[in-house]
Amino acid sequence: MGTDRRRARSVRILLAAFVSLLVVGAFPSATSAQTDDEAPQSVRGKVQNRFEEDGERVTEPVPDVRIVLEDAGTLIGEDVTDADGSYFIGLEQTGTFTVRIDVTTLPDGLEVAEEDEVQDVEVGGNQNVTRVFFLGEDTRNVQSKWSLLPQTLANGLKLAMIIAITSIGLSLIFGTTGLSNFSHGEMVTFGAFVAFVFNSDVGWHLIPAALAAVAVTGLLGAGFEKGLWGPLRRRSTSLTSMMIVSIGIALAMRYFFLYLFGGDLKAFQQYTLQRDPVSIGPIDLPPRTLFIIGASALVIVGVALFLLRTRFGKAIRAVSDNPALASSSGIDTDRVVLLVWILGGALAGLGGVFYGLEFGIKWDMGFTLLLLMFAAITLGGLGNPFGALLGSLVIGIFVELWTWIVPNANDLKTVGALGVLILVLLVRPQGLLGSKERIG
Amino acid sequence: MNWDLIFWNALYTAISAAAAGYCIIASGLNVHVGYTGLLNFGQAGFAAIGAYAFAIPIVAYGWAWYWALPLMLVCSVLLALALGLPTLRLRADYLAIVTIAVAEIIRLFLNSTRFTWLTGGTDGRNGWTTFFEDLNPIDNTARFDMGAQSIDGYRLFMMIVGWCLAALIATFIWALMRSPWGRVLKSIREDEDAARALGKNVLAYKMQSLVIGGVIGSIGGLWLSAQKQSAQTGEFATTLTFFAFLIIVLGGLGRVKGPIVGTIIFFFVIQFVDNVLEQATRTDNIPDWIVDSTNFGIVKNVVAGLSLALLVIFRPQGIFGDKREQVFDVR
Repeated sequence: MGTDRRRARSVRILLAAFVSLLVVGAFPSATSAQTDDEAPQSVRGKVQNRFEEDGERVTEPVPDVRIVLEDAGTLIGEDVTDADGSYFIGLEQTGTFTVRIDVTTLPDGLEVAEEDEVQDVEVGGNQNVTRVFFLGEDTRNVQSKWSLLPQTLANGLKLAMIIAITSIGLSLIFGTTGLSNFSHGEMVTFGAFVAFVFNSDVGWHLIPAALAAVAVTGLLGAGFEKGLWGPLRRRSTSLTSMMIVSIGIALAMRYFFLYLFGGDLKAFQQYTLQRDPVSIGPIDLPPRTLFIIGASALVIVGVALFLLRTRFGKAIRAVSDNPALASSSGIDTDRVVLLVWILGGALAGLGGVFYGLEFGIKWDMGFTLLLLMFAAITLGGLGNPFGALLGSLVIGIFVELWTWIVPNANDLKTVGALGVLILVLLVRPQGLLGSKERIG
Repeated sequence: MNWDLIFWNALYTAISAAAAGYCIIASGLNVHVGYTGLLNFGQAGFAAIGAYAFAIPIVAYGWAWYWALPLMLVCSVLLALALGLPTLRLRADYLAIVTIAVAEIIRLFLNSTRFTWLTGGTDGRNGWTTFFEDLNPIDNTARFDMGAQSIDGYRLFMMIVGWCLAALIATFIWALMRSPWGRVLKSIREDEDAARALGKNVLAYKMQSLVIGGVIGSIGGLWLSAQKQSAQTGEFATTLTFFAFLIIVLGGLGRVKGPIVGTIIFFFVIQFVDNVLEQATRTDNIPDWIVDSTNFGIVKNVVAGLSLALLVIFRPQGIFGDKREQVFDVR
């Protein structure tokens, strides 16, 4: 573990250095040293082409592009980018100008987004202001908003599947014990990290590592029930207390992951393989994603059959419906609850591996997912596992749809889903499939 | 190991202006959780509103503080209404889930690059604390020694006024809870149906409690940012809410002194642990595989989480609490 932590540390330092470089590049200070040019002020910058090659972002300079500095339409100065893609326009005066990229001088096939064509620039005394132009292959105009919809829905389905397999456990635990388990998100993170350790430190292939993670997280669930929640229930601790205990556990676990693995985003070993996307109509999905959707669907069908057809599944649903009645008709509720914890843990672990595959592994990934899980099970109806499935579908798709409706809102992805949760509580508090007596 | 510095720094942190801010935030939460039995998991949202609804009009629109302050209070009341309306008639868990979700929504909006022009994004909002700086009779930049710890005049001023404010709010809550109104709140906490059977409008009382505790939380959030001279979104993550929970559980739920006692104990212990680990890693008294300079600061959060869980399990009435007053029993 020692070398791993040291590696993580050096990565962190590099990252910090990189970020600070970026910041320095993006916000040149007003006092930056004068260059060889005699002009007291200047506007300078670069024209860069950004594109994706083999899944990696590449930035390359674009030479021979004419950059024009204007003051309300009158030409102030101009320059043509050199081999580094840099331009430099010296200025005698100060004020607010516009700097424009001459689109007719762009190389064929390269476009600049319309809103980036002209940039405002405010130049104070002795300032060198930087304005960078980013080009990209012309993808924006070809793909209309509507043609992006199928891909958005597919991404939503993928997220929905992951939320679904993690939230069934949360829902079953709530149904059988009444506990809103705020540490369920950390079980997801735990699963992802167990698989990560087996995968990159021990060197197993991802699939056995994932299976190990499922087993270990199931064991963790059993451990929680045997060592913590079971004894607390027998002491007849109130549900509210248990909820706050689960918050404390979640907090401790989350920061323990940060302590052990550091704050950077991690990826599984085989993650980099299999990059060529498979096209299904208008949708491009990597084989990895198809696998995740397929495997999740199989697991969900399996769990549903288990709940509907087997004796244990029926017992779980009976305890969910009415614990006292189930107990008096001879069902061993403690065993059922233990089983639910194992099942919920195992599913959370699997969900963690899937989530880690798609979005990377991070110490606080479980918390992000927890709010979506809660939104899903509340939407579907608290305590109803099939409601959890339906709710997950709605929430997962809505999260992606939200970024489709509101452009440039990737950092607000979960907001839409959480907003839906609040709206549903206003209109139909028992959720889509919930029963009314649970809510009041 | 410089025990002198470790001790004085921990003591200073326990009574610092930031601790006063936490104390006020926790006092508001105490009104919700301790007195009314409302499980508010989103106190960080109220605190964030307190800081940003005051800072943004001043920095971005040049308002005077005497307009910004009422706006901040109105926003806080609106947030309480928005949280309460969909959830207060439902089971306690719904309020918990919705409040934590809304607190996250607020934080995400404040962090979002789309709203950087308004909120300052991850850089935060600065330059809105001139009101406090002008109010300060002490020289803002002068240094003052407190044992081995040295602080500037601004922090000293904010510390003194902050704790006076915390004491004032504690007195206010004490008076409220002694009144017939406060007794109804406690009866709702003990048995909601009984209160309803006596003809009390439980929903209205809960809503009033949510508003009062929320506004107090906003004032605390404002203080937390004002003493730092900057509103930072990082302050208002969900950990803030749960630290406030830990504070009121430590000090005793539903007790007037609870938040004050809890804050001092919480910050002293947390900062003490942090300082010891920091010194130990710097002087190489502790092997790197246990903690090193990159992760010693995380240990205090693990300690806080575990303490919250263990306290609620083994000593729910807090260190000095009264078992009869402790009720985490919202059905």
